Amino acid sequence: MPRILIVEDDDHIRTALRLMFEGEGFAVDDAPSGEIGVAMFSRMTSDIAIVDVMLPGMSGFETCQVLRAESDLPIVIVSARDDTADVVLGLESGADDYVTKPFVPEELLARVKAHLRRRPEKSTNAFTMGNLHVVPDEGVVRHRDGTELHLTSTEFRLLTDLASMNGKVLSREDLLERVWGYDYFGDSRLVDVHIRRLRMKIEPDPANPTFLVTVRGTGYKLVI
Amino acid sequence: MRRRSLRLRLLVTFGLGALTLSSLFASLTYFGVQHLLVNNRQQNDLHQTYANAALVRNTLYTSPPELANLLNSIQNATSSSVLVQTHHQWLSRSIGASTNDVSPAIIKAVIAGHAVEQTIYAKGRLIFVVGVPIPAVETQFFEVFQLDSLNHTLSTLLLVLAAGALLTSLVGISGGLWVSRRAVRPLEEVSLAAAMIADGALNTRLVVTRADREVQRLTESFNQMVSRLVERLERDARFASDVSHEMRSPLTTLATTASVLQQHREELSPAAQESLDLLLADLSIFQSLVEDLLEMARSDAGAVPLVIETVPAIELVRQSVRSGAQRHGIDEPAIEVDAGLGEPLVSVDRRRFERVITNLIDNAHRYAQGAVAIRLSREGQLLAINVDDAGSGVASEEREHVFERFFRGRAAHDRGIARGTGLGLALVRDHVRAFGGSISVEDSPEGGARFQIRLPIVTEEGE
Repeated sequence: MPRILIVEDDDHIRTALRLMFEGEGFAVDDAPSGEIGVAMFSRMTSDIAIVDVMLPGMSGFETCQVLRAESDLPIVIVSARDDTADVVLGLESGADDYVTKPFVPEELLARVKAHLRRRPEKSTNAFTMGNLHVVPDEGVVRHRDGTELHLTSTEFRLLTDLASMNGKVLSREDLLERVWGYDYFGDSRLVDVHIRRLRMKIEPDPANPTFLVTVRGTGYKLVI
Repeated sequence: MRRRSLRLRLLVTFGLGALTLSSLFASLTYFGVQHLLVNNRQQNDLHQTYANAALVRNTLYTSPPELANLLNSIQNATSSSVLVQTHHQWLSRSIGASTNDVSPAIIKAVIAGHAVEQTIYAKGRLIFVVGVPIPAVETQFFEVFQLDSLNHTLSTLLLVLAAGALLTSLVGISGGLWVSRRAVRPLEEVSLAAAMIADGALNTRLVVTRADREVQRLTESFNQMVSRLVERLERDARFASDVSHEMRSPLTTLATTASVLQQHREELSPAAQESLDLLLADLSIFQSLVEDLLEMARSDAGAVPLVIETVPAIELVRQSVRSGAQRHGIDEPAIEVDAGLGEPLVSVDRRRFERVITNLIDNAHRYAQGAVAIRLSREGQLLAINVDDAGSGVASEEREHVFERFFRGRAAHDRGIARGTGLGLALVRDHVRAFGGSISVEDSPEGGARFQIRLPIVTEEGE
């Protein structure tokens, strides 16, 4: 039974979400604040988390950061506004995905299921780019000196999916479908922000990427 | 019907006014002077004639043979022609005098014993004929004065006066020009500013200059009015935004609980199931409505800045069509690229552009069994993106209005058409305008509607 953590301060929404996810066969931990959510998370082993951005006290972004520091679990933030700044901030705090209120419950459900479904990754052959050695089977990226570079599971998938194309371009839509498992919703910003985060980790000079290259108007490709 | 322009009217009024006044003045002057000069001259001539007649009479008494010499010396002295008649025969005349100048009527009157004077305008010459009877010797004395030199003076005067009148008219016209410019320019500025504001440039204000007090007052009230209107618009936009924001939480709860009910559908009675279906259907409309309102309020208030990227247009359209069609679970319409298009770049906010295409495809799907094709072509420096369908088209009287918020045309009242939010096309127009483009609706080659977006093609390379 998948276990979901819901952090949402609005009682009505939280209860409705709990009822819906329970109805879908989830074990639900629901928390009215970020602090309680983080505390619950350390006790339970959640498979996925839904975090509202507007929380009293510890904000949704902070909650995300704390959760991300402890785990690779998929985090979906619920943003009050559809502003790019909000979305980017949320994704940069470590969230894998976001929905905006008012969201369509079925869409949220489908996204959560997609995140859980994609866990086992397709295996690609190990490859080296610059000083980094990527081993998809083990799910790790190592520096030349043997130390590990930490990537979230979404980042890792993004990297290996692009690598599997042997230098061919993947559009944002392709990436949404392959990495997030969405075939119709999603927003190109989701891809862009993750690419940027990934560049910060793997590119020697993130402002002038040499491996993860943007193909204007089309998408991204990995040049090894 | 358009009235003639105020500028023209002012110009004509001033010009005609000046012309009339100066002509009147010139005519009065001319005729006054003419009367004075002619009168004066005739008075002199008359006196001279009587004096000459006395000389003639004396000569005829004393030594008649001297008459011809006398007449010639008179002519030399006064530059007039003199003629003397007796018993209906011309007795003598000065050299160059013509008997034709003296009409039979005058001769008759003088023979009858009257002194006669007559001004004749003949053969381009003005002459003054005076006839004096000399009964003592049964003779008639005539003197013919040439008023040509007077005439010459008068025509010079006429020329000067006409030139003066013309000059005055010209001055009048330029005065009219100046006045009309001064009076009309503020009007033109106001109408230009009003047009710009109507086109959405809400920051337009008139410049307060050191103009006339009335103009300054107009400028100030105009600016004040625009500021008030903008304030009002912003307040409305904020209100719409606030309302939609406040609706989001309860709406989320409603939608989520409705989907919980849906999970337990089997446990519900048939009536409850039917109610649930209605609830779900209207919730989804409500949800789209709030989403559209929020998006609209955001772009109205300018709260969310555009994220403009310069991207290859064809690929952009292709991706937007794909994601738009998928989003609504519609078949992807074909994309036809005109051979002459090349590889144009456009500057757009990618997310909003996707929204534009999505809404147009959805619109075609709702009202015209789907878009037939998305056609791309070049129109000079513009990229034309045509979303064509084979439906019943948009009636010409509705074309201006389909992009208005909550406009419902005839098509929307037809039965069996799923209701939209009434904001889809309005959002399309707002977004396209934000990219510096335009949108219109016309007939598609298939006889349905063609929604045509025109976007400026970006020529320079570089991000």
